[in-house]
Amino acid sequence: MRKRIIPVLLVDQRRRLVKTIGFGPRTYVGDPFNVIRLFNEKEVDEICVLDIDASPLGRSPDLGFLRELASECFMPMAYGGGITAACQCESLNRAGIEKFVLGRSASDLGLVRELASTFGSQATVACVDVANDSKATRHVVQAGRPGVSLNPLDHCKRLEDAGAGEIILQSIDRDGTRNGYDLDLIRAVAPHLSVPTVALGGAGEAIHLAQALHAGASAAASGSAFVFIGRLRAVLVSYPSMLHMDALNDSLS
Amino acid sequence: MDDSNPAIQFDERGQCNCCRDALARRPSEWWPGPEGEMRMAQLVEHLKERGKGQTYDAMIGLSGGIDSAYLAHLASRQHGLRLLAVHVDGGWNSEPAVANIESIVRGLDIDFHTHVIEWHEMRDLQVAFLKAAVLNQDMPQDHAFFATLYRTAARFGIRDFLSGVNFASESIVPPNFGYPSIDGRHIRAIHNLFGKSSLESYPIMGVWEYLWMTRARRQLTIHRPLNFIQYDKQSAQAQLKTIYGWRDYGGKHSESRFTKFYQDIYLPRKFGFDKRRLHLSSLIVAGQMTREAALAELSEPPITEQQIKRDIKFVAKKLGVTPTELIELVDAPARQHADYPNNLHLFNASRDLKTLLRASFTRGKQ
Repeated sequence: MRKRIIPVLLVDQRRRLVKTIGFGPRTYVGDPFNVIRLFNEKEVDEICVLDIDASPLGRSPDLGFLRELASECFMPMAYGGGITAACQCESLNRAGIEKFVLGRSASDLGLVRELASTFGSQATVACVDVANDSKATRHVVQAGRPGVSLNPLDHCKRLEDAGAGEIILQSIDRDGTRNGYDLDLIRAVAPHLSVPTVALGGAGEAIHLAQALHAGASAAASGSAFVFIGRLRAVLVSYPSMLHMDALNDSLS
Repeated sequence: MDDSNPAIQFDERGQCNCCRDALARRPSEWWPGPEGEMRMAQLVEHLKERGKGQTYDAMIGLSGGIDSAYLAHLASRQHGLRLLAVHVDGGWNSEPAVANIESIVRGLDIDFHTHVIEWHEMRDLQVAFLKAAVLNQDMPQDHAFFATLYRTAARFGIRDFLSGVNFASESIVPPNFGYPSIDGRHIRAIHNLFGKSSLESYPIMGVWEYLWMTRARRQLTIHRPLNFIQYDKQSAQAQLKTIYGWRDYGGKHSESRFTKFYQDIYLPRKFGFDKRRLHLSSLIVAGQMTREAALAELSEPPITEQQIKRDIKFVAKKLGVTPTELIELVDAPARQHADYPNNLHLFNASRDLKTLLRASFTRGKQ
């Protein structure tokens, strides 16, 4: 199967599209509906929408908004943010969302199991946030559970065993930097999992996407690479053509 | 042209005052020969001289349309100017527009800056303008563009702007038509009357900032290099296609989906005005089209009934109104810009300004 290229769109409390750097400062990117329409016309493989304010504010998914968004979206849509119970996914599913991304709540392996048994593993995605500590050792960052140091591969394996059908492996340090993925992290995790690994965090150019795939990721996801262009980080929606990706891929092997 | 505008008069030979005026201006505005080459060389040298020690020699706007893209090619590739390209995203970009901007920016490897207008503010302002029932519905987009242009120039220390406005396709401007988008007071007044939320980040250039930028600082000198060449859209597009993979999206004014609605539906329906007349008449004056071919093109409606339905539905949904509400807004009696507070008297003096205004007036015509 052709490896997937996935735009990740971050939505804030006011239903605005933003992009962060290192999970911090936000840049306004535009109206989610127009951006989704542009991606429709660019024939994007699939799209991942993350509501980055839902969990921190203890809010449930914004169903009305997501229903509208999914109705505009021609490609399969994954959604994450504020999911804490299987019954929410029931409504999300009816709203047209095909995959559920668990971030913070993926630490609850019981929920992962429940989603996998109710909706199937293909609909159950866990997002694993990884950061470097002072000794440059990578560890899993779990919001709300500071001090619990987990090795990324061990954690991913646990999620896989619980039934997650896909792991989004995200580097917090690389988020928004646009200078490439943490390829060592991908190499350390992806080959040891039997489910697909989606690389996230650090891509700025199409070549970075190709590098992640070459390092073993099953899919390359990015926020920045598809909404920014150039040295001045100008907002412009783009998506590499299959032809372009094939050429980049050939140049790496 | 036709007699749908009372300010347009025809002489005994059937020629209107707009075309007569354009033909009279032609020798002093367009030099498609050796003199143009000389003027271009002088301009390039002047800009390079001024740009010494700076990051950029000049600024350009990139809308996704052919004129600005060809201008970028001309200035950067052919004349080696260091450009900063600026784009204002009002939330209405079409896919071909962003794809073409991308191909030019990557192909020329020029620096690019986008200002994205907060969509909830833009929407509120645009609905307010529709409720005001005035002629210039492109004003919310265009004003943001001018304001951003000046502010970006000030931020990057740029003194020269290369405008894609050109005589060949845009020489015809009827008298007493249009309204200057630069009037920030007018924007605020209409929004105060009909808007619902507040404008916090939408770039409004008030009168003091305007006077400061244009008269005190003289921030930007505006140049129109396309008037120094034998500019022809068809061949420009063909070149862009070969060199940058430019995509020909066939239709006219497709950069902004709102401008398309404005020119194809709003203007004809509310003001009985078909903007294609300006463009086609300009091409005739430029000697790039025959009158017969233009009349043949005009005999077809600009848009089919089916497309009208589709565009109304799209624009209504995006603006957060129902299609019926949007049609009611279009069909409500027209009002004059002068019915609302404005600063029109301020904007009659500057030649640079007129250039900019003409850019807004004919923008999107391909």
